[in-house]
Amino acid sequence: MSRSQLLDPAAARDLYSPVMAEISAIEDLTALEKLYRITLPDGAELGHKPGQFVELSLFGVGEAPLSISSSPTLRGHFELGVRRVGMLTEMLHRLPVGARVGIRGPFGNGFDLDALAGKDILIIAGGIGLVPLRSLINYVRDRRGDFGRLIICYGSRSDRELLFDAERAEWEADPSIELHVTVDRGSAAWRGRTGVITTLLPEVELDPRSSVACICGPPIMYRFVLLSLRAQRLAAENIFLSLERRMKCGVGKCGHCQINGSYVCQEGPVYRYSELEALPEAL
Amino acid sequence: MDRLLLEDADLFRFIAHLVACKTVYAPQRKGADSYVFAPVDDPQAVVLDYPRTLHSIKKYFLPPREELLSFNLRSNAFAAAEVEPVNAIFLGVHSYDLHAVLKLDHNFSQGNAERNYLTRRQGAIFIGVSYRPDRFHFGGSVGIPVADTTGCDLFLHRLDRGHVVEIVSDTGRELLRGLDLPAFTGELPRTADFEQHIYLPQGKLTEVFARGYQSGIWEEVAEKCVGCGTCNLVCPTCYCFNVEDEVDVSLEGGSRQRHWDGCMLREFSQVAGGEVFRNNLAARQRHRVYRKFKYISDQTGEPWCVGCGRCTAYCTAGISIVNIVNRLVQEHDWANAAKL
Repeated sequence: MSRSQLLDPAAARDLYSPVMAEISAIEDLTALEKLYRITLPDGAELGHKPGQFVELSLFGVGEAPLSISSSPTLRGHFELGVRRVGMLTEMLHRLPVGARVGIRGPFGNGFDLDALAGKDILIIAGGIGLVPLRSLINYVRDRRGDFGRLIICYGSRSDRELLFDAERAEWEADPSIELHVTVDRGSAAWRGRTGVITTLLPEVELDPRSSVACICGPPIMYRFVLLSLRAQRLAAENIFLSLERRMKCGVGKCGHCQINGSYVCQEGPVYRYSELEALPEAL
Repeated sequence: MDRLLLEDADLFRFIAHLVACKTVYAPQRKGADSYVFAPVDDPQAVVLDYPRTLHSIKKYFLPPREELLSFNLRSNAFAAAEVEPVNAIFLGVHSYDLHAVLKLDHNFSQGNAERNYLTRRQGAIFIGVSYRPDRFHFGGSVGIPVADTTGCDLFLHRLDRGHVVEIVSDTGRELLRGLDLPAFTGELPRTADFEQHIYLPQGKLTEVFARGYQSGIWEEVAEKCVGCGTCNLVCPTCYCFNVEDEVDVSLEGGSRQRHWDGCMLREFSQVAGGEVFRNNLAARQRHRVYRKFKYISDQTGEPWCVGCGRCTAYCTAGISIVNIVNRLVQEHDWANAAKL
């Protein structure tokens, strides 16, 4: 280490200033979740990949990492599905259309679309894990010829917590999509399947040579889903997991999101299962 | 001549000369046994023979609290904070603290280079000083001898009644202009030996820490640790931070502030909804030590601990990083011996 390594600050970007964007539409998803459409100044594109996230800020409240829920094929704006769970998201849920929010990003690696191209895509979404995976689902739908089968396994605690009802009805009606939905506990009105998400997996016929799995859900879900996928002989490098951590700065500096030596905001949030052997803190 | 003699009788004149050039930060007494780096008003307040300061000079480049931007709540307008170069002389810096600055330089330059840190870092002149290792220092075990001049502009080698001023850079030479110090032609003084050692050959760093992950030491240390985060706070190579908004009492505006944070604190890895991803002290202690000896070291090939001894000297529970690492080395050696 020598002092000659010191960089000229003029060569360094301002990492922490957001771009002010507008909430251009709000849709209620459930009692806890809303979908926000965000428009950047002059309708600029965010330029993200499915699986990436942004840091959203409300001045006076703070900043939080939020998964991008829309596909990059949606032009002119992007969407964030937000559960009301902390102070920032509580405040966000009170904002009207037209309100301005700060945006930094996109951050993170996103799904490796080159690795997914031509493959059968098995999506496994637990609860709010559907929010980031919806970006990938809609990307695959809009580039349908670039991919093989699209199989979606989606589990939720109850039918009242299921997300994207209208869109899911479209997926259901689309003959090129195999959609399987289950809830842990259904209400009296629920006519669908009941049981945890892993009960869906043995019924999915997979060709392990041509399939990849993309998974996002609560930490407890991964262990059982992984056992099931390994039983179906899916190779560890063909299993992609999106991991949640506290990505505070988004630029690989603050240290909060670190899993062992890996900064989730830089090398993640999407990891191949084969990469996680070196990251015992991951699961 | 690159070595000059600074008699103790000339010391205050030397410091006054520096103060006339630029702002000078140097160790000064705080309380009975504590020292801090502080701006020098009175050359006589400077203490060059000190064991360690509470905080390293990191605080001048990465302040404990720092405004990132200010905002107006009515208009949603904001402005990034203006950051000024430190533009100062750091007098009496120990070799380990200067190495720590060079390590922070690396952390804030690699990947996304950070403008705030790099701007503050401009215009810093370093005058090192040798020290007498106490029962906590172990710089020698991490490749940083007492009289290591890396990164310095000048280095002061302590003699019985003065210092040898070693000129390390052109900036240092320039700084001495007008002082007329006599040349020093003798031998440099021998530095005192370290009392503390990590018995870790650098080539073994990777394998020792590969095995050490499952060691029982983490649970043992966790039984003592109270999770206060002091070790993070005083470490010269810790740079993790949190960011929070603060609203003025007028409720019209405020600022986004970053402040030092520590991986030993429970909330550090907590996400919205309450999940804590490093949920016990054993895992947090391991993470702290692995940040110093594995995770960054795997990339750079050198320990990210500089051997200052602060985390041990100031630990509220008496935990020693030297003992932890030596235990890992020992377990590694035993395991290898068992294979024979």
